[in-house]
Amino acid sequence: MTTFANILALLLAAAALYGMQHSTPSYSEILSPVAVPAAQGKPAQTERFVFGVAKVHLAGQLVAPQFGEPRTYTTSGKWLVVEAAAKAQDRSVSLTSAAWRGPSGLRFAMSTRIGSTLGLLGSERLEPGIPRPVLLVFELPEDQIEGGTLLVAETAVTPLSEQVEIAMDSVPPENRYESLTLARGGRIMPWSLEFHQ
Amino acid sequence: MGRFVNGCESGVAMDEQRRSYRQRLIALAAASIGSLAASAISYGAAIYRAANPEPLRAAVPGETVDTGRWHVTIAGARVSDSPPSGRRPPEPQTFLLVDFEAGNRSASTAYLPAKLLTFAGLEAKLASPNFYLTRDKAFGPSLHPGMPERLTAVWEWPAGEMPPRELKLLIGSQVYKKRDNLYGASNWFDRDPVAIVSLTVTQEAARARQ
Repeated sequence: MTTFANILALLLAAAALYGMQHSTPSYSEILSPVAVPAAQGKPAQTERFVFGVAKVHLAGQLVAPQFGEPRTYTTSGKWLVVEAAAKAQDRSVSLTSAAWRGPSGLRFAMSTRIGSTLGLLGSERLEPGIPRPVLLVFELPEDQIEGGTLLVAETAVTPLSEQVEIAMDSVPPENRYESLTLARGGRIMPWSLEFHQ
Repeated sequence: MGRFVNGCESGVAMDEQRRSYRQRLIALAAASIGSLAASAISYGAAIYRAANPEPLRAAVPGETVDTGRWHVTIAGARVSDSPPSGRRPPEPQTFLLVDFEAGNRSASTAYLPAKLLTFAGLEAKLASPNFYLTRDKAFGPSLHPGMPERLTAVWEWPAGEMPPRELKLLIGSQVYKKRDNLYGASNWFDRDPVAIVSLTVTQEAARARQ
């Protein structure tokens, strides 16, 4: 009887340890950013910044200036260009982390192929009370565009910082192009877009 | 009478105490032998594995190798006097270029690890290569999941040394750990090479220097 009780206690202890081992959240999960869910069309508020998406464009190829000359960038998927605006809340911040989470959970960082000139997110600091237009450029496979989420945070590594998670609408047909040209803009907008159907 | 009974009882108690000591000793011995055996077996297995490494898989150019985080297909190797960007350095220099295709199998955008491609021979002393995207010669690109890309790895060949005719290229691997040993955070970690590819190095016709 005692032996039986001992074995039972041992098995219970093993089961409890196994359960605890597998239900403990990992370090990355404990320190992951705090999600601030938002929808496209209205600005998402966090403690330190406000971020709103204005327009989304989809193009097969992108023409952008490099060393002062226009250069064509091709891709095996599509280029997704997001025109957005952001401002700081009560002190200056830099938004350096932007990612696209596809419908199957894959995370796409902003493309590093386009130079950081045209007001791309991360190239300039945001000041409180001064909204600033920012540009986000992603390279995505076609099946990861519909139903995606835009993730924007100050940095990808700061533990427990807030991250805006914007559920994105599908791109309207009039915003889908064969080729999209990014060029330097004027005084207000740091970039201008030209479309070729 | 009472004393006798008492003495008898104390004798029984001492007997039981002795038995319980013996039982504890046996349990302790069993536990220590068990743990000793476990560590001996694990050390032995580690030493055995180190002494008898698994033979590297020999891949041929054009064959896709699964390296954990990456799918790598080596296309070929060549020697050239200019890097893929086309900008030739002011001093004449020799570059060793390996064309390959890489696909990111993980769930997020990542840069290629520096130890993805290394050499088995004397060339192992070369520094880590630079990666260029074949598509637009972008330098050090990050690769997105589900979007395989053709790339060129570039090594600067030491001045005054003849580039080899044949190369043995090692393809390194990466593994995913849900909890790493230091923080318990999930990440990808470099592991030993998983495949070896024998390549013939072709000489690119040297263009006239302008």
